[in-house]
Amino acid sequence: MQSSGADRIRRLLTAGAGALLAALMALVLIVGFRLATRIRANVALLQHASLLEAYPAEVSQQLTALRERLGTLEYTGGVHQELADSVAGFDRSLAALERRPDVDPSVLRAVGHLWKAYTPVLAPVLAYSGEPYSDTDFGSSLSVSGKIYYTQVRRAELFAQGRAPALHRRLATLSAALQKRTSSAASRLRLLLSAGVLAVLLLGAAAAYLQLARSRGERAARAAEEQTRDILHTVREGLFLLDADYRIGAVWSQALNHLFGREDFAGLTFEELLHGKVSPATLATATKYIKLLWGERAHENLMKSINPLGQLEVMLDNGRGGKEAHFLQFNFHRVLGPKGVKHVLCTVADITPNVMLARELHAAQENANAQIDMMVSMLHSDPLQVGGFLDTASAGLKHVNAILKEPARSHAEFSSKLAGLSRELHSIKGEASALNLMSIAQRVHHLEDMVEELKGKSELTGNDFLPLVLKLDELLAHLRSVREMILRLSTLKDGASTSDGTLSTPVLRLPGTERPNGTVELATTLQGLARKLAEDHGKPFKLSLEGLEEVPVNYLPTVKDCLIQMLRNAAVHGIEPDAVRRAASKSATGQVRAQFRRVESGCELVFEDDGAGLSPEALKEAAVRKQLLTEEQAAELDNRSALALIFKPGFSTRAEVTMDAGRGAGMDVVAKSVYALGGRIGVSTHPGRFTRFKIALPAPSQTAVA
Amino acid sequence: MSSGNPLERRPVKLLIVDDSNIVRRRIERSQQFDDLQVVGTAANGLEALELARRTDPDLVTMDLTMPQMDGIECITQLVKLKPAVRILVISALADKATAVEAMERGANGFLNKPFSDRQLNEAITELMY
Repeated sequence: MQSSGADRIRRLLTAGAGALLAALMALVLIVGFRLATRIRANVALLQHASLLEAYPAEVSQQLTALRERLGTLEYTGGVHQELADSVAGFDRSLAALERRPDVDPSVLRAVGHLWKAYTPVLAPVLAYSGEPYSDTDFGSSLSVSGKIYYTQVRRAELFAQGRAPALHRRLATLSAALQKRTSSAASRLRLLLSAGVLAVLLLGAAAAYLQLARSRGERAARAAEEQTRDILHTVREGLFLLDADYRIGAVWSQALNHLFGREDFAGLTFEELLHGKVSPATLATATKYIKLLWGERAHENLMKSINPLGQLEVMLDNGRGGKEAHFLQFNFHRVLGPKGVKHVLCTVADITPNVMLARELHAAQENANAQIDMMVSMLHSDPLQVGGFLDTASAGLKHVNAILKEPARSHAEFSSKLAGLSRELHSIKGEASALNLMSIAQRVHHLEDMVEELKGKSELTGNDFLPLVLKLDELLAHLRSVREMILRLSTLKDGASTSDGTLSTPVLRLPGTERPNGTVELATTLQGLARKLAEDHGKPFKLSLEGLEEVPVNYLPTVKDCLIQMLRNAAVHGIEPDAVRRAASKSATGQVRAQFRRVESGCELVFEDDGAGLSPEALKEAAVRKQLLTEEQAAELDNRSALALIFKPGFSTRAEVTMDAGRGAGMDVVAKSVYALGGRIGVSTHPGRFTRFKIALPAPSQTAVA
Repeated sequence: MSSGNPLERRPVKLLIVDDSNIVRRRIERSQQFDDLQVVGTAANGLEALELARRTDPDLVTMDLTMPQMDGIECITQLVKLKPAVRILVISALADKATAVEAMERGANGFLNKPFSDRQLNEAITELMY
């Protein structure tokens, strides 16, 4: 802006100098022309004056010549005529001088006066027209008029001789004055011309200087322009200006071309710049924000704090015909002019690496936190239990993998696949949360979510299962890391280091036989789960276990699965919140009891809680809602059959899915595993009083190993 | 802003709009300006408009998610009702789109919940002084 001001001044100076030069030249020419005209007039006057100067002597000579000719009787006509011409010439020149204003009139008057004195003597001479000679036989002689003529000539001659010097003097003065005036005019003209030449030279020098300065200024402007271009070429951020119509200006940095893969930014609106690269909602917000930047309320800090484009995810061409997600950071700075906001300077930077790094850091942090959580929970649990869980979980996940690999074509086949996955995952999740291994439980929960989502789809293909496979791999990897951690923890706990790297060694190395350990482990697991469930659901209850040590080793996994599932059901559905219990005059702490005993026919497992009991009507409604039954079928169902609904696959009365219940793959699994051992399961209840499950299993010796 | 400052003559009248009375009390207590006078507290947009009509506040702190009439709608109507009022949005909605929307409707400042006393005072200072 400064340079343009200096430019204007320089231009004004140049124009002023030019005008002055033209005016001076005009002045010199006009004055010079006038001087020259006057000199020319003076020269004409001088001619007249010098003519006049010659006349008095000439008149005298002519009179003398005339007199001599009369004396010698020669022809006088010629001389007479010359005299007349001289007199007439004198009169003419004098008249010419008298018409000039710049001739000194007093001198002219004196000359005129002197000349007038000639008239009385000259007039008779000039007026003579007779014959001055008379011819006789004796020869020629002056005639009478000739004699008079002679006398008159003689008188005029004498007069002229007497007066001529005075007249001549006057005329010489006149002539000298004129001469002087002419020469002074000439010297003035010379002076004027010299001054003019000098002025022209000076102005020329000034013009040359200004021109030089201007070209220097232009060079500086060109250099500045070049620097600007270099900056715009080199800067790594996208830079451009937006005008009041939200359009991009005529210059922008090269980086913008790379960022957006285009070059035609001039005149593009901000909206057009982002069009198709961000969601319409984001685009609308961005457009509103840009408008706000021009408003009065937009404090720089405030606008910066609400900048919605600080980390904008956009889809950009990756140069190979595809699209790639990038994170761009837009910053806006208002350029203020005298009349408010003039432009908005936008800078755009690709912050994708920063964002990715931040995300990785965040994920790593989460991971570390999860590992710490797990370490802490494992420190509180028996490595044997966890080891046992890992073994069953691995086996379970292998089963899941096997289910995933099963070929399927029809919708029914896919559905049964999904149902199988559901059951398997649900029981793994139950055990994981029983051991408080939340990182595992959450991962399984997530897998379950994915399975549920697939269940909701009408068309299924093998591809839909791919994400599950990936997630499963991730889970298996996680299990391996947990195993490693257990290994380290157990060596830490034992205070003994094992060089053997396998997991089973430290766990199995512990003293004691398999069977008591298995049942002790089961009791601990269940009590741990009970505490956790009571806490999670805000329902205090007490779990009492009887006769678990009697469980035959090959029934142990099934009994464990069943008890975990029933315990969760009791906590979620059975035991009421303590306010409800108090209102029903029950003890605030719920009672849950599991009893295992040998009976004549084999074994019996009884599991009961003193909770709300099962309502056949509520169960029927839930079954209708789940579309397991039509309303008509439900209406016809007796109470006993209604209770049996809880063993149906896909049944759950819980509307909201939690980590503990609501998947509808719970009692279904229990029943299935009981049937698999050749057993039976039954339920009895009293609303508001209790729910009791009774599981009858054949004597272990008669069954094959489960 | 300092020239002809009416604040030197009379206190700034503050209207607090938030559906949580914890937040309302927090704002009431945290203001440390001698010349800030709480003229009313409202728990939703409708109440706020009614109170604004009666008390003619200079400054309104505005929550966005409220029952009956939300903050965005309330700002729109409040600006029509009292064009000179200055509105400080105090919201837990951290997304920038909401902030831009509020500004577009006529809010003058934006503060995210949770906020410290210092942040609140700074926001009010920037808006009023």
